[in-house]
Amino acid sequence: MGSPRLAIARRELGSLRKEKTIVLALAIQLFVAAFSSFLVVGLVSLYDPGAASYQVDVAVAGDEEAVEDLLRAVGSEDGLSGRPYASTSAAMTAFHEREVDAVLEASTGEDGRIRVAAVAPDTGVETTAVVTRLRDALRELERNERAERRAFLETDPLSLPPAAESSPYFGFTYTVLVPLLLFLPVFISGSLVVDSLTEEVARGTLELLRVAPVSFAAVVDGKLLAAGGLAPVQAVAWMLLLHLNGTAIESVPWLFGMVAGLSAVVVALGAAVAITSPDRRVAQLLYSIGVLLVFAGTSLLPLNPANTAARLALGTAGVGARAAVAGLVFVGVVALVGLRVVVDRVDPNELG
Amino acid sequence: MTDLRTRLVAHARTVLRIARWEVSRSAGTLDRRTAAIGLVAVLVAGGIAAGAAGGGVSLDRDLYRVGIAGDSPYYDAVDRSSALDPRPVSDPNVELVVSETHVSVVDTQTGRAAYAAFRDAVQSYNERQMAREENQSAAFPVVVDLQYRERDALVPAGSRVDGGAGGGGGGAGTGDGGGADAGTGAGSGASGAGDGAGGTSGGGPSASDAAAADDGSVDAPSLGGMAGLFGGDTSGSPASISPPFPFASLVLAFAFLVPMNFVIQAYGSSILNERINRRGELLLVAPISPGDIVAGKTLPYLLGTVGITVAIAAAVGGGVVSVAAVVPVGLLFLASTFVGAMFARSFKELTFVTVTVSVFLTTYTFVPAIFTNVTPIALISPLTLVVRDLAGESIPLGEFLFSVGPILLAAGVLFLLGVGVYREEDMFTQRPVPLKFLDALDSRISRARSVATLSALSIPFVFIAELLAIAVLFVLPVDLTVPMVLVAVAVIEELAKSLHVLAAFEKARFSRTLRSSLVLGGLSGLGFFVGEKFTAIAQLAGLQSLTLGQTAFAPSGVGIAGGTGVSALVVLGLFLAPLVLHAVTASVTAFGASRGRSAYGVALVGAIAIHLGYNLQVVNALG
Repeated sequence: MGSPRLAIARRELGSLRKEKTIVLALAIQLFVAAFSSFLVVGLVSLYDPGAASYQVDVAVAGDEEAVEDLLRAVGSEDGLSGRPYASTSAAMTAFHEREVDAVLEASTGEDGRIRVAAVAPDTGVETTAVVTRLRDALRELERNERAERRAFLETDPLSLPPAAESSPYFGFTYTVLVPLLLFLPVFISGSLVVDSLTEEVARGTLELLRVAPVSFAAVVDGKLLAAGGLAPVQAVAWMLLLHLNGTAIESVPWLFGMVAGLSAVVVALGAAVAITSPDRRVAQLLYSIGVLLVFAGTSLLPLNPANTAARLALGTAGVGARAAVAGLVFVGVVALVGLRVVVDRVDPNELG
Repeated sequence: MTDLRTRLVAHARTVLRIARWEVSRSAGTLDRRTAAIGLVAVLVAGGIAAGAAGGGVSLDRDLYRVGIAGDSPYYDAVDRSSALDPRPVSDPNVELVVSETHVSVVDTQTGRAAYAAFRDAVQSYNERQMAREENQSAAFPVVVDLQYRERDALVPAGSRVDGGAGGGGGGAGTGDGGGADAGTGAGSGASGAGDGAGGTSGGGPSASDAAAADDGSVDAPSLGGMAGLFGGDTSGSPASISPPFPFASLVLAFAFLVPMNFVIQAYGSSILNERINRRGELLLVAPISPGDIVAGKTLPYLLGTVGITVAIAAAVGGGVVSVAAVVPVGLLFLASTFVGAMFARSFKELTFVTVTVSVFLTTYTFVPAIFTNVTPIALISPLTLVVRDLAGESIPLGEFLFSVGPILLAAGVLFLLGVGVYREEDMFTQRPVPLKFLDALDSRISRARSVATLSALSIPFVFIAELLAIAVLFVLPVDLTVPMVLVAVAVIEELAKSLHVLAAFEKARFSRTLRSSLVLGGLSGLGFFVGEKFTAIAQLAGLQSLTLGQTAFAPSGVGIAGGTGVSALVVLGLFLAPLVLHAVTASVTAFGASRGRSAYGVALVGAIAIHLGYNLQVVNALG
């Protein structure tokens, strides 16, 4: 990398800083991350069974024997409390007057099964919370009943270990949020390269290369360096931020290498697309499809990037994940070399 | 009359000619080779996506390592779970060790999560085992028949304005009906289970389905079938109950809004292309008005949006209402991209502007639609209309207007702003986006009266911003949201009343005197007051029945006149009080704006404080 490349990279970063676009980019990423967390974490934890603030009251009616079993199962569930009602209509009245959130009517069928008619409110998010808890209680009831009918079963069900407190969105943080924050900057970097190159073509500034002591390859390298370098830096910043927020991120160097490798692939793709079809409309469309292709294609691999990132961040990755990162870096280098071959065969003055 | 008609025809011809030119020029940039490459790429991506959907991409594969002996009864359960990775007991790098007598867990968050995943795996394994049992009534001794019942006039707990006592009698009546329904439901469940005893039960396969779904990566409610999406009733073993996915709007939002992103990418490029190397100058010097140029350049993209929307609506089974609800959103997408492309300095900046636009608009249409069944709030988003249209409900005209009106108005105002700067001195100069924005505002100000007009025109944006604030803050407890909404309202309204005044002063359109600040402030306040009266539309949709709606709109004086035992004089006073407020705060900011930008900042804070104080007084007095 000679100094003209660095100069061009500096100039690219300078224009980003001047336009304050990088601030906007970070704000958007933060917003997307906050938004997706709000969706899943917020709405789910709002009705998290562990949170004492939301108590689901269930009216229980029906056969005496079945009601008793049902009440026991409902009582064993956190955040659920059962109230016996004399009749179904009394229970439904309570339901409509909002004294209870759901109604369970139990009866014993001819074949000895317990039939439960469950009524849940039809109110969107709240319904989900109510139904999730009802399901847990009913599964508990099912387990108890199943244990009583053991004699009629060929295989004994495995005994279920007792429930323990665990954050319901722990998995989400690592399998969705971390990969999202790591790969979003990569996608934006590639888009930047497309914009930067197509703009040079549209403005006709590449013509100036004829008299400048810089080669086209150096210009492309500089742009790749600026855009491609941003993604790993942002990734590290996000990991630091997550760490400060109490989400421990393991194997940061490996994740850094992974983002670097992936951004090499994606910016090379962006540059190749911009060079082959220099009109921005077409280039951006092709680039978006190409990136979709890369992410969709890799998601089919046994060690797909999102899963590998999640395992690395959790610290449960084995040798395979590390080998995948090394492979990704290798592919990135190959992509850059391939791009160089394309660039060397292109006359910048014939673009556009 | 004929004169008007010939002029209209001439305009239409020009617009159509420019539209044709835009289409042919765009088609020219796309040669056959790139089109073919793109098509192949789309097909391959589609194929992969289909394969991924079929094969199941697991984000959580082998997330946790479990030390377990090969002959342990739990080995199969661990092996079949995608999130768990069975390792020999001797392996020290594990989160969980399952021995014959107990399960030991590493005391970390990861360890606890691994334990929860292990518990889920055992549960699903049991379900699968039971599905193979001969005696299905012993394997699945509980049959559940789940129904969803609507309760009368839903208002979220704590935010009820009027006491719900009147509903008691009716509640009992419908209660009986519901009970009868539940009874028949149980009956049909019984008949379903009757053949279940024969071996292949209805509960069996669905139970294993649910068990498979349990292996899902995220602990969020899983996306069940389409029936679950829209709250359909289910029946079967307890494990087969899948909670309704409350985000039907998410699926719709993605289906309708994702294609729009592609359209605005192309549209933004086309507009910005005109501004590069002064290419648009030729059109500008032609005897065509800027409005016609913009209309002609927008038409193909608008038609494209309409076409895509119609196709998607047909695919998801929506009718005319769905299309009519989504097209305004598409228009707003185009309008904000147009303004963004008029302001952006480079393609890079345009990319960020379009991403911001699409993120913001997606939020705006998506978040409120989550609460589709909590009527008033959800109506903010046109997607709610789509969800209801799909459910076969009829939509009153008032509700339709409430949802779509602000969006259409906002799109119109944005186009107006953009066309204002569609002129040589703005198109071919490079200035930061905020300054360009001030320029655009200034281009609409020719005399003092225009300040009032602009204030009135800002109402749709104020409305949209306030509704979004309500929708986002809606989930928090009422004690917390009311003050937060009040602050948000004060900030939004003060900005809307003062930004264009600042623009006019910055451009030295008026003399920087106390007198002109007072005049401009008064006019801005008056314009805003008149425009704000249109928020009476909010009443149509019944937003007033919510505490939050009252908080946001009561200070504007809407709906006060209905109060009992208040003399006409007081009513008039209350009616005019907001006018005084708006005039006073707008004068404060106008005075600040006349002294420069930093003085404006200080004045803005002061005006917000005055506004907030007034709002608190009114809300307390009414509450």
